[in-house]
Amino acid sequence: MREMQKYAYPIFLAVMAVLPHLLNSRWQAVAITFLIFTVVALSQDIILGKSGMFNMGQALFFGMGAYTTAILNHQLGWSIVATIPLAILIPAIFGVVLAGPIVHLRGDYLLVVTIGFNIVFVQVLQNNLGGVTGGPNGIFGLDSLSLFGINLASQVAVYYFAFLVLLATLWVMRNLEKSKPGRALHYLREDQLAAESIGINTRIYKIFAFGLGAGIAGLAGTVYATQYAAVSPEAFEFIQSVLFFSIVLVGGSSIPGILLGVFVMFVLPEIFREFATWRFFIFGFAMIAAMILRPRGIWPATFGKIPKFLIKGGSHGA
Amino acid sequence: MGRNELILKDVTKRFGGLTAVDALNLKVTEGQIYGIIGPNGAGKTTVFNCITGIYESEEGSVNWRGEEIRGMTPYQIVDRGIVRTFQTIRLFSQMSVAENIMSGRHIKSKQKLWNGIFHTPSSRRDELENWKKVEEQLDFFKLSEFAAVPTGSLPYGIQRRVEMARAMAVEPTLLILDEPAAGLNDKETLELLETIFKIRDRGVTVLLIEHDMDMVMEVTDYLTVINFGKQIAEGTPEEIQKNPAVIEAYLGSEDDDDE
Repeated sequence: MREMQKYAYPIFLAVMAVLPHLLNSRWQAVAITFLIFTVVALSQDIILGKSGMFNMGQALFFGMGAYTTAILNHQLGWSIVATIPLAILIPAIFGVVLAGPIVHLRGDYLLVVTIGFNIVFVQVLQNNLGGVTGGPNGIFGLDSLSLFGINLASQVAVYYFAFLVLLATLWVMRNLEKSKPGRALHYLREDQLAAESIGINTRIYKIFAFGLGAGIAGLAGTVYATQYAAVSPEAFEFIQSVLFFSIVLVGGSSIPGILLGVFVMFVLPEIFREFATWRFFIFGFAMIAAMILRPRGIWPATFGKIPKFLIKGGSHGA
Repeated sequence: MGRNELILKDVTKRFGGLTAVDALNLKVTEGQIYGIIGPNGAGKTTVFNCITGIYESEEGSVNWRGEEIRGMTPYQIVDRGIVRTFQTIRLFSQMSVAENIMSGRHIKSKQKLWNGIFHTPSSRRDELENWKKVEEQLDFFKLSEFAAVPTGSLPYGIQRRVEMARAMAVEPTLLILDEPAAGLNDKETLELLETIFKIRDRGVTVLLIEHDMDMVMEVTDYLTVINFGKQIAEGTPEEIQKNPAVIEAYLGSEDDDDE
């Protein structure tokens, strides 16, 4: 398994790096969507998969990033690239502030509250808060991507922007895995009482997970706003959150599992157009089947990533 | 900071109408192996929960090194050097033995929250140092061969060792063991005794609950016997064995036999 992954990741990344040159423009757009939604699903994985918190409002943070970029670009004339720091920071701060009072809630209670947040967010957008969100139609006509005065309007440029964001996300996820905060999330998911009894302030780490997940989703939002040069409320509705939630649940809290989930949920409906209307139906059954047959997801999280020097002989070493 | 002493004074914990711990006093001094014994349902584990912050006692005081720790959260109490194990083993069952022990290093690790996003040379050094500490515990508890194995798939006796290794990885001053010999066979119990003595020789004070009377009499320096949440006796193992109140609690009084 580990041997396979050693080769699988470079091959996957290499394929993704040359992919836009093999595709026509319609499929390039699908590929960009795949990259963006993979990043959002990975950010959801930090909250739901790694920390075990039932967050059903990830589209809120995704949308908040997209709207931050759109408003700064459209109203204040910032370039898209210049909006990135705030598109990460604002959702992250909201993630921390919203999570603060609710992270102690268990399971489905947390889920209901996060659904509520998501619905409030969409209502706020539709009601054109402060006259900057553009109401139900959203905001149109954002600038295209440009860097150091070079205009990068082509779809291929947007693709590489999305790809760069995915690489950055994978890098952060890898760092998280090999750090004290990352392990703390696993510990508190596995057994919160045991985690506290060994000295982990679980509350801080839960809020941290929300903040980090929200920031990454916000960054994905920037790419989304760039791709369509527009944002509108319906793209960030509660039903989108359900999709991200079910991708992590069915796919499993692992990168291959999430790629698989995003592919089934967002790419297959493009390949088989008739499948689009069926996808909730099929995914519903997939969820039921996964819960019975593979309760930890089709491709569950793998543990045992420990330094090599700890594995000494013996037939038990993995 | 006073000496490493744990002093419970009039600790009372109620659940609704039930008084699980009733005005309990005890004093654990540095370097002791201190035992709490009592029949089933006597409130022993509740005492531990009150010390480690899982419950907050309604009355009384829990004093550690001259500081009141009643009302603190479990992780604050761990930070002050008190670590526990559980009667029903509570390991992170999907994670490997090494990762479980690494959780004990959490509080000693100097990494900050943002090291979860990007690493620095000092965070990498810290990471490596803590894994080295894990290696020490793996050696001490003879768990090296299981380092990468998920704990959920290990036999019960080994899981107990992992739980103790995890607690010792915190480098505690006071180690609290909740029925460490439960479910162990005779050979494993003997090994456990040796381990407890070795832990004490490292300068760690040990407080334990145990059912296995032979083991308790052998390992402890001082004992408190509780029944129905009240202390009914305290003393050295020799004194306890001769104490009529203890014999009554465990074997029933002679009056009962007559009825």
